[in-house]
Amino acid sequence: MLDENYNTNDTVGHLFRDHAGMMVASLCRSFGFDKIDTVEDAVQDALIAAMKTWPYSGVPENQFGWLLRTAKNRCIDILRRNNRSTSIDEDIQNIVDTDALYFANEISEDQLRMIFACCHPEISPDSRVALTLKIVGGFSVAEIANAFLSNTESVTRLISRAKAKLRDFGLRMEMPGPNELPARLDSVLKSLYLMFNEGYSASTGEALIRKDLVFEAIRLASLLASHPVTTSPTVDALAALFYFQAARMPARSDHNGELLILAEQDREMWDKRLISRGTHHLRLSASGDTISDYHLEAEIAAIYTLAAEYRSTDWQRILSAYDKLQNRQFSAVRELNKIIVIGETDGPEAAYSLLLELEAKLSQYNLFFITKAHYQALLDRPELAAASLKMAESLTTNESVRRFIATKLRVLK
Amino acid sequence: MAYKQPLKTELKREKFMPQYMLILHEEPMDYSQMSPEDIEAVIREYIEWSQAVEAKGKYVGGQKLKDDGGRQLNGFGSEFRVTDGPYAEAKEIIGGFFTISATDYNEAVELAADCPHLKFGGRIELHEIQPTD
Repeated sequence: MLDENYNTNDTVGHLFRDHAGMMVASLCRSFGFDKIDTVEDAVQDALIAAMKTWPYSGVPENQFGWLLRTAKNRCIDILRRNNRSTSIDEDIQNIVDTDALYFANEISEDQLRMIFACCHPEISPDSRVALTLKIVGGFSVAEIANAFLSNTESVTRLISRAKAKLRDFGLRMEMPGPNELPARLDSVLKSLYLMFNEGYSASTGEALIRKDLVFEAIRLASLLASHPVTTSPTVDALAALFYFQAARMPARSDHNGELLILAEQDREMWDKRLISRGTHHLRLSASGDTISDYHLEAEIAAIYTLAAEYRSTDWQRILSAYDKLQNRQFSAVRELNKIIVIGETDGPEAAYSLLLELEAKLSQYNLFFITKAHYQALLDRPELAAASLKMAESLTTNESVRRFIATKLRVLK
Repeated sequence: MAYKQPLKTELKREKFMPQYMLILHEEPMDYSQMSPEDIEAVIREYIEWSQAVEAKGKYVGGQKLKDDGGRQLNGFGSEFRVTDGPYAEAKEIIGGFFTISATDYNEAVELAADCPHLKFGGRIELHEIQPTD
């Protein structure tokens, strides 16, 4: 049904979620963004209708066609019921015939328009992510709340406020014009980056929905990368970054579900297909003159992921990329990651003294203290290492990380 | 008149497989909070069940009844009356029915026991269909 650019492989098992997003995008285009609440209700009704009837009738050959037709008719019914005036009927007559074939390109474009709508710079970054997940991604409010470690009331409020703001703008479902596109695209990429990190930063055993966020960010980045209007080396760089990081996820924990650091991970478990997609996008990102932050981050991720083993990682190149990033804009967390690399190139003493200089900036960050403990142990100061680990424990809420710390403490004794 | 030999096929009694109707009762539920993901999972379970029955050669058919309450017909002649309902607001409605074949009630129960309808809170009324000959 969809062409290969859509990367259906990355969405296997989430067909209805994708269908929901595509239906909402398509119907908002037909009925107008201001009708989004009605559209969402109609889409939900269509999915429920499928749930009630397909068990008996079997799944139709063209699932999406069935769903879209049902949703569109439902939408018309709701609008007619809510609006007794005859002009509604005229408006509806102008809407594309339900039997018209929806080509993959049209669906992709509707989705892109919707992504731009949801990632509008005027709404808060958190709202953009929530809105995109709900409307484009087909995630439920409960699923989003779970992912953000929030509750459904907060997420519902966040989404309602964002929608209201967009309605106030009189937002239309259009691709941004060439003048606006760079800024609007920038906002989209930032939102996808946030979405990815929200999902990626979760440890194993925790809400699996967060892994879904990772793949949703990948799906949308791929969508952007495959469309002529939105594709650019920067978008490819972001996609590459996502793919390389995601590729390593299967190895992050051992068979008991316990966290493993990079040096301990079994590289055989890294997803080769994702690595190859990462390499593909990295190659595309190398065209042109732009070197965005995403380029540098993608390069770092690529070097880590493409190394045959931990020891043969090209630390100098990673360091060089970190330096460039830090020169553009300093980030304390990034500095921590950079120091870990310096630990490999210059040894534990050098890394440790740099860590001490950084402590004031990361005094509430558990990973800082886990790293500090690591070097204290290497420098043969187990009592200091234990103290650092206890500090890390006090700052940790995540169960997997807590167990990781407990294991390290046991090893020290 | 020449004596007509009965055809061999007429002499052989066909092995007859009884059919059973599964009437799916359910309480009306609010599905508005179900995520697309959840909905997909439900459909998949039903399809897997019916495909499993089909694979055994036991699936005959199934129909969904529209959620509109239907009509109740009572009385005859001057007593005849039609009423609407029960509607979805009522306690329990019939969602639909499946027809399967099985050698006996035991097998029918076995096949029906895996129907996800039971998992999702509904009940199944199972009846053997009276054979006609």
